[in-house]
Amino acid sequence: MVWKRICAVSSIPKNALRRVDVEGIPLIVANFGAGFRAFPPVCPHMEEPLSESGILADCVLTCTKHLWAWDLRLDKMLGETEKPLRFYEVKVSDGDLYALIDNEIVYEFDGDDEEGDDFFS
Amino acid sequence: MKVTVETKSDKFNFPCEENESLLFAGLCAGVALPYECATGTCGSCHARVVEGEVSPGWAEAPAYSQLKPEKGDILMCQAVPRTDCVIRARNKVSLQQNEIAQDLLWTGVVVTSNKLNEDVIEFEVQLERPMRFVAGQFVTLEVEGIIGRRAYSMVNFEETSTKLTFVIKRKPGGGFSNWIFGTSVIGRRVKIAGPLGRATFRPHEDRHPIIIAGGSGIAGMMSMLRHATRLNYFRDHEGDVFFGVRALKDAFYIKELNEHVSFAAPALRVVLALSDEDPPAGRHPDFPGVWLDRGFVHDVASRRMTGKWDERVGFVAGPPQMVDGALKVLIAEGKLPQEFIRFDKFG
Repeated sequence: MVWKRICAVSSIPKNALRRVDVEGIPLIVANFGAGFRAFPPVCPHMEEPLSESGILADCVLTCTKHLWAWDLRLDKMLGETEKPLRFYEVKVSDGDLYALIDNEIVYEFDGDDEEGDDFFS
Repeated sequence: MKVTVETKSDKFNFPCEENESLLFAGLCAGVALPYECATGTCGSCHARVVEGEVSPGWAEAPAYSQLKPEKGDILMCQAVPRTDCVIRARNKVSLQQNEIAQDLLWTGVVVTSNKLNEDVIEFEVQLERPMRFVAGQFVTLEVEGIIGRRAYSMVNFEETSTKLTFVIKRKPGGGFSNWIFGTSVIGRRVKIAGPLGRATFRPHEDRHPIIIAGGSGIAGMMSMLRHATRLNYFRDHEGDVFFGVRALKDAFYIKELNEHVSFAAPALRVVLALSDEDPPAGRHPDFPGVWLDRGFVHDVASRRMTGKWDERVGFVAGPPQMVDGALKVLIAEGKLPQEFIRFDKFG
C-alpha cells in the first residue's frame, strides 16, 4: 500500500466532488469543509455516478437518484440509506492531498456470495 | 398462486394471479412493497427469488441491467409468478397504513384528447368505476400493441373520480406518444394500474409547498394546486410554483395557474421560467398573475427562494436532468429534510 498523490488541496473548493483517476483507479475526492474523503465514483445503491448526481452540503453527501445520503465527517448513513460509502484513507501533506490506494474498491451489488448473502446488509 | 415475501424480520403472504405482477398483487393485498416508478426503470422494487418459478416479465426493462437475473433477481413491478414462490425483499416492506384500500387494476376508455400546444396533449380516460386518489399520485397505462406500461400523473383532483386527466409531451420515437399524437385514440381501451406513488400533497403536514416542474412534470402539480385551492390552503400557507419550459409558446395551463394565483393572492406565487428565450416582460402578457423569468427552472427557483425556505415541502417533476438540478437546490440551498422532498422517479 502506497500513498499516492491526488492533487493540490487548493484545487478542490469546499463542497466540491471531483472525479480523478489515480493510475487507472477512478475515485471521487470530496472536500466537506472540515476535511477530505476519497471513495469510489459510483453510488453503492445502483452505480449512479456521484460526480453528476451527488450534492455535498453541510458535510452531507446526497445522491439525487434515490436520496441516499452519508455524513462524510462522521462516516454515517442517513435516512433510508442502506449501504455505507467505502473510503480510501487520505492525508494532507505540504498542501497536497494523498490517498492510500492498493486495489480499487468496488461495491458488491446484491449478489457476490463471497461476503455471504449481503442482500440484507 | 401464493407468494411469500420475506424480509430480514418479517414474512408476508398474498395471492397473485398468473398474469399479475408481484408488486400490484402485493399492493392490492395491503402489503406495502417498495417501489417508485412501477414501470421498470428505477429498480426500487428489486427482489430475489429464493423458491419457485417467477418470470421476469418485460426482460428489457431498463432496471434489469443493474441486477443479476441469473441469481434470481427480479423487478417486482414486472415479474409474474409461474408457481407458488418465495421472494426475498428489502427491509422496507410493511403493511399498508393510511393508504386507500382498493383494487389497483382498472380498464378505461379514452374519451377526449386535446392539444394544449404543438407538443402537448391533454387526454381523459373514463373508468369503469370510481377511483380514489391523492393529489400527486400517478397510474400506469397500457395500450394493446404498445410494449410496456408508462406512468402518468393525474392532472385532475377529485377525491373520487371516474375520469382521469393526463398530459403527454410529444416524444420522438416514443410508442405511447406516437399513439396519442398520431392516431385516433377516442374510444380506445387502456389498462390502468394505480393509484400509485407517494409524492403527494398532504395538507395536514402544514408545510409551505415549493413546486419545481419542467414540461409535462406540471401534471401532478396541477392536481395538488386544485386540491389546495379547494381547501383554501393558501389562506394561511405560502406557495411557490416554478414551471420551466423552453419558450413562451411551450407553456400551458397558464390560464388556470393565473386563476389559482388570483384566488390565493398574495400567498401563492407562480413563475414561468423560460430556458431558451428572454421573456417579453416581467409578467405574462395575457395572465399577469404569472411572473416570467429567464433561465433553467431550478436556477430561477434558487434565485427567487433565497431566505424563504422555512417549513417547506418540495415537489419536483420533469425530465431527469431538471429533476437532478432541482433536487440539488432543495438539498443544498433549501436544506429540506428527505421526508419533505417529494418526487416520482419515472423519467
